[in-house]
Amino acid sequence: MLAIQILIDGFAISTLYALGALGFTLIFGVSGVLNLAHGGLMVIAAMIAWYVGTSIGLGPYVGAAAGLAVCLVAALVTYGGIVRPIENSRAVPAHERELFVLTATLLWGVMIQEALSYAFTNSPITVQPLIAGTVSILGVRTPINEIFIAAVAWAVMGALWLLVNRTRIGRRLLAASINPRALTLLGFELDQIYLFVWVIYGLLAGIAGVLLGSFLGSGSGYVPGLTGSAFTIVVLGGLGSVSGTLIAAYIVGYIETLTAYLVSPSLREVPALILLVVVIYMRPQGLLGRR
Amino acid sequence: MSTIPKSRLVALAVFLIVLALFPLGANGYILGVLTTAFYFAVFAMSWDLLFGYAGEVNFGPTFLIGLGAYGAGMSNALLGLPVPLAVVVGAIVAVAGGVALAIPALRLSGPYLGLITLVSVLLLQQAIVIFAGVTGGEIGLSVPDVLSISSAVNYEYALAFMLVSGLILFLISRSSLGMILQAAGQDQVAAAALGFNATRHKILAFAVSALFSGLAGAFLVFYLGTASVSAVVDISIGVRVIIAAVLGGRRTIIGGAIGSVFLIVAGELLRPIGQLSTFVVALIALVVIVLFPDGLLGLLPHRRGA
Amino acid sequence: MNSTTPRLAVSGLHKRFGGLIAVKSLDFNLYPGEILGLIGPNGSGKSTVMQMIMGVVRPTAGQILLDGEDIAGRPTYDIARAGVGIVFQHSRPLRLQTVLENILLGLLPDSLSRLRPPPGAIETARRIGEECGLGDVLDRLPATLPFADLRRMELAKAIARDPRVVLVDEPFAGLTSTEVHDFSALIRRFRDQGRAVMLVDHNVKSIASLADRVLALYLGEKIAEGSSEQVMRDETVRRVYLGGGIETHERPEAEIAAHKVLLQVKDVSVFYGKAQALENVSLTVHEGEFVSIVGLNGAGKTSLFNAISGLVPFRGAISWDGATRGRESAAEIARAGIVQCPETRELFGRLSVAENLELAGQRLPPGERSSRLDWLHELFPILRVRGTQEARTLSGGEQQMLAIARSLMLKPRLLVLDEPTLGLAPVILGQLSEALSRLRETTDITVLLGEQNVTFALPHADRIYVIEHGRIIWDGTPTRFAAEAGTGYL
Repeated sequence: MLAIQILIDGFAISTLYALGALGFTLIFGVSGVLNLAHGGLMVIAAMIAWYVGTSIGLGPYVGAAAGLAVCLVAALVTYGGIVRPIENSRAVPAHERELFVLTATLLWGVMIQEALSYAFTNSPITVQPLIAGTVSILGVRTPINEIFIAAVAWAVMGALWLLVNRTRIGRRLLAASINPRALTLLGFELDQIYLFVWVIYGLLAGIAGVLLGSFLGSGSGYVPGLTGSAFTIVVLGGLGSVSGTLIAAYIVGYIETLTAYLVSPSLREVPALILLVVVIYMRPQGLLGRR
Repeated sequence: MSTIPKSRLVALAVFLIVLALFPLGANGYILGVLTTAFYFAVFAMSWDLLFGYAGEVNFGPTFLIGLGAYGAGMSNALLGLPVPLAVVVGAIVAVAGGVALAIPALRLSGPYLGLITLVSVLLLQQAIVIFAGVTGGEIGLSVPDVLSISSAVNYEYALAFMLVSGLILFLISRSSLGMILQAAGQDQVAAAALGFNATRHKILAFAVSALFSGLAGAFLVFYLGTASVSAVVDISIGVRVIIAAVLGGRRTIIGGAIGSVFLIVAGELLRPIGQLSTFVVALIALVVIVLFPDGLLGLLPHRRGA
Repeated sequence: MNSTTPRLAVSGLHKRFGGLIAVKSLDFNLYPGEILGLIGPNGSGKSTVMQMIMGVVRPTAGQILLDGEDIAGRPTYDIARAGVGIVFQHSRPLRLQTVLENILLGLLPDSLSRLRPPPGAIETARRIGEECGLGDVLDRLPATLPFADLRRMELAKAIARDPRVVLVDEPFAGLTSTEVHDFSALIRRFRDQGRAVMLVDHNVKSIASLADRVLALYLGEKIAEGSSEQVMRDETVRRVYLGGGIETHERPEAEIAAHKVLLQVKDVSVFYGKAQALENVSLTVHEGEFVSIVGLNGAGKTSLFNAISGLVPFRGAISWDGATRGRESAAEIARAGIVQCPETRELFGRLSVAENLELAGQRLPPGERSSRLDWLHELFPILRVRGTQEARTLSGGEQQMLAIARSLMLKPRLLVLDEPTLGLAPVILGQLSEALSRLRETTDITVLLGEQNVTFALPHADRIYVIEHGRIIWDGTPTRFAAEAGTGYL
């Protein structure tokens, strides 16, 4: 029975990690930014969803929508207020831009964490599940929410795939990740494309954050760990590779779940970290990376 | 090496004398704040040697600081070593850790090097928690000995340490070795074309940075009386070290000291607003980084440079 | 050349990058007391050869003997210590140190513990600085120096190590003719000191008077070797760099002048930092005209085109269809009708041929898009065949055709073509030339073509401009060009 439980829980967690990591990889692939405030965005979504849904009492759906909206705003602030000014700044020498963006997003993540801690204390909360109740799968009592989460996450990822491969703007996104200069030569404004990517990212992080908050809980203390697992997954899978990210998300998700169940919940993050170190030294481009 | 005008030297001497005589007038609280600020200054100055001169970004300076702190703390608490010996042990552990991190890390480039330094901190944090039996885990490790119970004496120790470390780091940065480090950090191929084995020099830079960070971490433990994750290992501490160095001015060494004092004093002044103080300091730092990447020293009009 | 034992003996030097062979089993010698010029266009392998000698790139095979010792494959710092010095194309000064201290860097031993320079080093650095013409600026910071002095400083740094072999990459890029004269004197002095000097550059003309011997490369192989005159007159070199014979088919001047002026470039200069790439260039393109700008690699064509396309800032004035250029973005300029097909082609390598074309046609209404696609497939039939293939797996010629087709998909009013024939085999050139002819005959498109290959550039052109060292030095009809400038061109 434990095996089935691990299988189910691991699946749900991995799917959510995949959703969040996809956003992270999308931003890196198209806009070249490793957003170290990623965990902060996800936790904002969860905390606002909880605050509006449970604390104020407007119900889980309104809460989820509010969480998504605020996360989107935060993502756009990250792009417009931090990333874009540094990229366009003439005071920062070109070869140091990456460092400044990394440091600035790290700082922004710390700011988000502190603001959330101030507003909501750092006690963990749980976002109210959108669908209540339990169901029995192969003898294991599973919250319907868990199944719902996995379904929603896969639906969103499917929608994302459709967007990138079947729509015109999606194809421009793909092209931007391959050769941004060529897009300019073809008359497309890169700024518009970047803005679009950050909007998508904000939505992905928001959905992942709210759902994760209803499953594992959330709180200001979750911020560094979520950023950590996102970049573990993305580096493991290969910076810029979507299929790599997906596979890596399941590897990390299951390793974490196994560790939590079989060893100790407080050590859940350790094996993935060690795996990350090994990967960075043995095969820095990750499983399927191309950069 | 350029010559410093005599008037500036005199002003500097007066400033140092005032600093040294501070305890005569100031109360224990202010002295305490400045003591922490001085140790922090050494963290930031060591970081700048590595980044500003060798061109290597260390996102986890607290890996080195933590190794020094826990190395010294555990030697004192568990092995009963006297403070001076424990500090030496801490420094050795930090240097060993720094070199162990550097050798493989320097094979990587770009974001991967930064990531691995960040990961090293996360791993150290986890290790401390796992081996809570000997490290005190999340609660921290109390050390039986302290440097002194007098805040004035602690202040003088910290001041002296900061001045000596700062002087050594500054001299290194302006020496021939410093020039080679700078060349290696700016363009490894060009440095190699002049006959320099850039990797070896960068490992040395890691080792020197580790030495001073580790020493400062060790001293800090014997000032605070405890070694804890939240004081010496946490990522947010590391972020503050980087901010202090960038805020003060990259590639100046002294900027690290200025930035640290600014940050810590600002943090204390903002204490009345309670929990938001970290937020506000981070916000200020973010604004400075985005608008004035050359930091506080970069704002000075007579500053020569690029 | 007064010695028969080579200082540097290269044999069988071979380099492959994945599927691309950059240097094919190259043999050559470099003797002490001589200046050898290694020339070739982009993609000829000359930079790779230089990088392999310096250890920046590891040879796939071959030997590099420095006075009998094989240095191939050794790390750069080791090769530098063995006595090979290099002056890179781009200056990398230490910004916080004076010129004297920068030169001193070259005199420091590779030691981990040295805090002070070795005794006498400062005097030596001063002497070297004065030899290189930097005597007056030794105590200044690099940021305050003019471009030519920065280049002198790079020379001084390299010479400080007293190298037996000196490599210089593009020695005169960005220098005025007086500065070129001074630099040449410096380089000659290095040769007279008994060192072996190798200059790497795009074309013979710029180093002709300086080099004792010239080696010409093309697509990784040696195609000619001898004195500067011999190489400049060599048949293979002329054919490969210039193309073969010259044909002209221009339309009458009066007919062209009747059309309105589409593009007007007036006194445009482009600077990259302190280096001047373009100096007061003016040209005019009428609607429906085909203008060729002829010039060797590195003469400034790309800088000119990038200014026209809004990709680099410039001084001067550019007006398009009567309106002066303001602060439009590069993408806006492309949408307004100036479409550039750059030298590097900038294809979406991982997308298929069809996807590349489809992206370009996104702004067209669907009916127009498919009819335009059909027309392009007629112009370049191979693209229909390769439709589903990834762009990066195409051959060089096919990639060029795709790049041009993609640009044409945008319905350009002015098509800017930068060096389409670079690195392509002669039979492909024929196909491309035919396509350009058909384009010229069946549409009223305006074309601005930048080319090194005169045989390719002339037949389609109504007017020619010649650009050299960032300046327009000649303009007129192709017929006049064939008569006057053609022979002295290389």
